[in-house]
Amino acid sequence: MKFSTRQLVVLAVFGALWGLVEISLGSVLHAVRMPMSGVVLSAIGLTIALMGRFFVPKAGSTLFIGIIAMILKLFSIGSVVVGPMIGILAAAIIAEIVLTAAQRPSRPAFLLAGGLAVLWTLIQPFFAGLLLFGRDAMSIWLGLLEEGARLFGLGTEAAVVIAVLLVVVRLLIGAAAGWLAWRVGGLLQTRLGRVQLDRQVAV
Amino acid sequence: MIGSESVRGLATKVAKRPFLGTPGRLVVFFWSLAMVLFMPAEQLFLAAGVTLLCLAVLYPASLRRLFRWRWLIFSLLLVLPILFWSGETTSPDTMERLALGLQMVLRMIVVIVSVDGLSTAVDIAEVAGLLERFGLRGLGFAVGVAINLLPALRRSGQAAWYSLRMRGGLRAQWWRGLQLLLVTILMNGLRQAENVALAAEARAFSPDRAVALPIRRSAYDGYLAVALLLVWLLVGWAG
Repeated sequence: MKFSTRQLVVLAVFGALWGLVEISLGSVLHAVRMPMSGVVLSAIGLTIALMGRFFVPKAGSTLFIGIIAMILKLFSIGSVVVGPMIGILAAAIIAEIVLTAAQRPSRPAFLLAGGLAVLWTLIQPFFAGLLLFGRDAMSIWLGLLEEGARLFGLGTEAAVVIAVLLVVVRLLIGAAAGWLAWRVGGLLQTRLGRVQLDRQVAV
Repeated sequence: MIGSESVRGLATKVAKRPFLGTPGRLVVFFWSLAMVLFMPAEQLFLAAGVTLLCLAVLYPASLRRLFRWRWLIFSLLLVLPILFWSGETTSPDTMERLALGLQMVLRMIVVIVSVDGLSTAVDIAEVAGLLERFGLRGLGFAVGVAINLLPALRRSGQAAWYSLRMRGGLRAQWWRGLQLLLVTILMNGLRQAENVALAAEARAFSPDRAVALPIRRSAYDGYLAVALLLVWLLVGWAG
């Protein structure tokens, strides 16, 4: 992972933005116990990280942004940081793997990276609950089922439907984040005149 | 005017090595996690007790922070459902359920105190410097830039949000509004980034030539690592 000074500064801007969202909005959303707050935060963070990838289309840039955001979250005051830190890093790693596999930044790759990275929020309770707090998988699953039942207005007996809906909603929100990142990234490139510059260089 | 005595005093202060260096603190952090995460349930109370004792010596303020009402109520909320509801265990034994709840609370306390202690004791630049040594070149510089940009980005974000709100917020055309908000915040951020990059290049900064940020080391770091490993083995063997 080698970046030039300019690339490092751009990555710092996007990392700082993701960190800022986690520190400010994250604390508020967790405090008011908003349902699916993790999904919302993850989607916003990924939108920022994916836009960063748009500006620095090199392998490792999304992970770099995630690490900067994670470090900023670690040193934020007055909140529980372990869960969000794992969430930030995991989302960045998943997005990085998808984007590196896709080789060139493209809209489908951004959509897939966003969707899969936001899907991590469904796996995170199992990961953190089992590993950190020694809870058993069944009780975590029941908790998720109850949350899903409340959210979709379904009975807990429709477990399969709730599970599918939980997955689909996350994939859709993540894909929307990817789409937004691609769109805003393009808009920014145009406004900054980089597209024109690239074309001139190509000519 | 600064006298030679005070200069000597300052030099001694700077040269004075801390009791525990950053590697030592990291060893304590990972040891604390290993003590409560990889220890069988039978040894967990002993392991958590020993770990909390060690953390209390190193990070008393982090432990004291947990004795706030908010944390006490949160701990109760974690234990009580297990006592009255069979979600975590199928055992009808109340004592067994109580033990399970307490184990979860202890794990949570150890994890929170160790993370809080580490983030309080270790400087942010040192963490970046440490990660740089693991192949993330330029991370120290990027983290430094990110920290310095935080207040400006916050102000710029607030200003963009207030401007958008005065024009109706996200009520009408919320998707377009969201895009405009993001574009404005990022444009401001990227303009500042341009200035920072110019300033760094003007000072001939290059990530290839930059030396990784220094890390505080102590003579006791190695001994501590060995001692903690022995404690881990002893606690595991005691069960």
